[in-house]
Amino acid sequence: MWLWFSKLGSPKWFYELSGRWLPWLVIPMALLLIVGIVWALLFVPPDYQQGNTIRIMYIHVPFASISLAFFPLMAVAGTITLVWRMKLADMVAKQAAPLGAWFTALALASGSIWGSDIWGTWWIWDGRLTSMLLQFFLLIGVISLRSALEDTDAAAKACAVLSIVGCINVFVIKFSVDWWNTLHQPAGDFSLSDEAANPPEVWVPLVIMIVAIYLFFAVSLILSTRNEILQRERRAQWVQELVEGH
Amino acid sequence: MNQQATTGQAFRATLKRDLIIAYKRKNDLVNPFMFFLIVATLFPIGISPGPDRLGEIAAGVLWISALLASLLAMDNLYRSDYEDGSLEQLLLSPHPLYFLVLAKNISHWLVSGLPVVLVSPLIAYMLNLPDAAYAALFITLLLGTPVLSLLGSIGVALTVGLGSRGLILAVITLPLSVPVLIAGTLTVQETLNGASLGGYLAIMGAMLLAALTLAPLASSAALRISVN
Amino acid sequence: MVAVETESGLAETSRLTMLNGESLFCERDDRVLFENLDFSLREGQVLQIKGSNGSGKTTLLRILCGLNDSYEGKIFWYGDPIEEKVEQYYSSLIYIGHRVGVNKVLTPVENLRWSCSLQQQVADEEIYAALAKVGLRGFEESQCFTLSAGQQQRVSLAKLLLSHAKLWVLDEPFTTLDASGVKQLEGWLRDHADKGGAVMVTTHHSLSVTDLQMLDLG
Repeated sequence: MWLWFSKLGSPKWFYELSGRWLPWLVIPMALLLIVGIVWALLFVPPDYQQGNTIRIMYIHVPFASISLAFFPLMAVAGTITLVWRMKLADMVAKQAAPLGAWFTALALASGSIWGSDIWGTWWIWDGRLTSMLLQFFLLIGVISLRSALEDTDAAAKACAVLSIVGCINVFVIKFSVDWWNTLHQPAGDFSLSDEAANPPEVWVPLVIMIVAIYLFFAVSLILSTRNEILQRERRAQWVQELVEGH
Repeated sequence: MNQQATTGQAFRATLKRDLIIAYKRKNDLVNPFMFFLIVATLFPIGISPGPDRLGEIAAGVLWISALLASLLAMDNLYRSDYEDGSLEQLLLSPHPLYFLVLAKNISHWLVSGLPVVLVSPLIAYMLNLPDAAYAALFITLLLGTPVLSLLGSIGVALTVGLGSRGLILAVITLPLSVPVLIAGTLTVQETLNGASLGGYLAIMGAMLLAALTLAPLASSAALRISVN
Repeated sequence: MVAVETESGLAETSRLTMLNGESLFCERDDRVLFENLDFSLREGQVLQIKGSNGSGKTTLLRILCGLNDSYEGKIFWYGDPIEEKVEQYYSSLIYIGHRVGVNKVLTPVENLRWSCSLQQQVADEEIYAALAKVGLRGFEESQCFTLSAGQQQRVSLAKLLLSHAKLWVLDEPFTTLDASGVKQLEGWLRDHADKGGAVMVTTHHSLSVTDLQMLDLG
């Protein structure tokens, strides 16, 4: 187990292994994405209340659900960076932050477009949107701290600390914003539990889209981590051989 | 005669030193306080001087002003120590850094947070805060501003080595402060709606306790990284 | 690239090794500062670290003090890995860096009261006596921004006289001192080593102490 762990920490090993994994992630991702999008756009029956607007859900829900994974992911990577000083963990964390900001922004944008139809306004201080927005700010904080610190090692550790603090805070924010929201204005709510009552032709494509977007996330993270590895290990022999070989 | 100092003595010495420094640098002491007053003054000018409207937003205005004042004051928590090398001496102490950082945070709150809390009833009066909310506002600020200081300390510790850190400090710290802001303003509002103060204060007390135990640890780790 | 030589043949084997490092390696910004660096410092010894600008002298000292942890290799305090003895090590260590740790709005006395209290209890009379010895009589109650760089350096050096720390780690302590100050500090280093303490110092100044060891970082 320990050996496996330290082996996984080696960027070279990860690079080679992920190279072999990639096709097995990309192919299902592409298939699921195509099936999911076509199904959601063309074959799902319009909602009896929302009509065709319901189709935005197939984008919004996957992005929103994966956005919640970023801070825990970065906090775990940060802990590994601080405790075991594994460089690979920091490379993942570094790439996860901007990716997280994009995913969160997409979740916010799709939520807002959805809201423009069902609430009649582009923005509403709904609990979910608000905590998503705050998480977006926190991610921007991590990214700007990373870019402000020049030393790679210092940046890695500082961002690790901030990610751990941020992760705890995201949970507290979630809790407190929900509390704040229920006391202020119980807004129109669209939760998955409503959808659960729906027939399979509504939720099966949703599940497909969720899996597809998760795979999309995994592929993006792996690809950008591979770039980061090449960038940081540029002086290592194996990287130079790889570059010259092509 | 020369015995090892206990952690308690090191804690007290650090607290005392920072208080003396604050006393000697009166500008740093007065500026956050003035900033608080000025920001709070901007709201009636910018929104509306009508007493009813002001009364409604008074608690939020005071909380946001306190939050901004605390942010502004944060910068000198570790900066001069970083620049003159005292921070290195602090890190080389045989005592747990947690307590020394806590001492610095406490002294910082005493000179920058406490004055804001003490003057808040006066500003609340000028903003026409309903009478029933005074106690709640005062107590929530008393419990909440230390949390703001403790959280801000993490942000400052992370950015103390940077040349221009004003904006990045705000970007990091302000979102972290949101739960405190929510708890503070909600408590005041719910008291006005007739809820009893106890349960809400327990939540704020829990926040303070959690911040007291965890935040100095994060600040210590961040300071070690920044000095590296 | 690294040369370690003992200049004194009088080394007493009975003296314990206080601090030693094994195969230390450090790189900064893709440049190797030092690798495979071994050194050992006995009680009673002065280790002078030499090297051109940017050769990693300061970095080495900061690594040894635990202020910098981006290195590989092992450091031992009386034979034990340093991570296991942090508290003991820090009770026995004084570090004076480029930034001397003197707050400018405080007076020398207030500065010393605080920085000494991080390690040990010190009475005010001792502080006044130490300040007199470093030539700051009459400046005890002036704020440090009124003092010159050399005088501020002396405030930090007064700590050496007040502390019972066994290991002094000094980064270029001679640079801002005048001729008499240099001579005085040299005397203190000699006395400290002769009493069984140890010193690590970066300087280009040639020191006259009993048991001197050189470490050249190139």
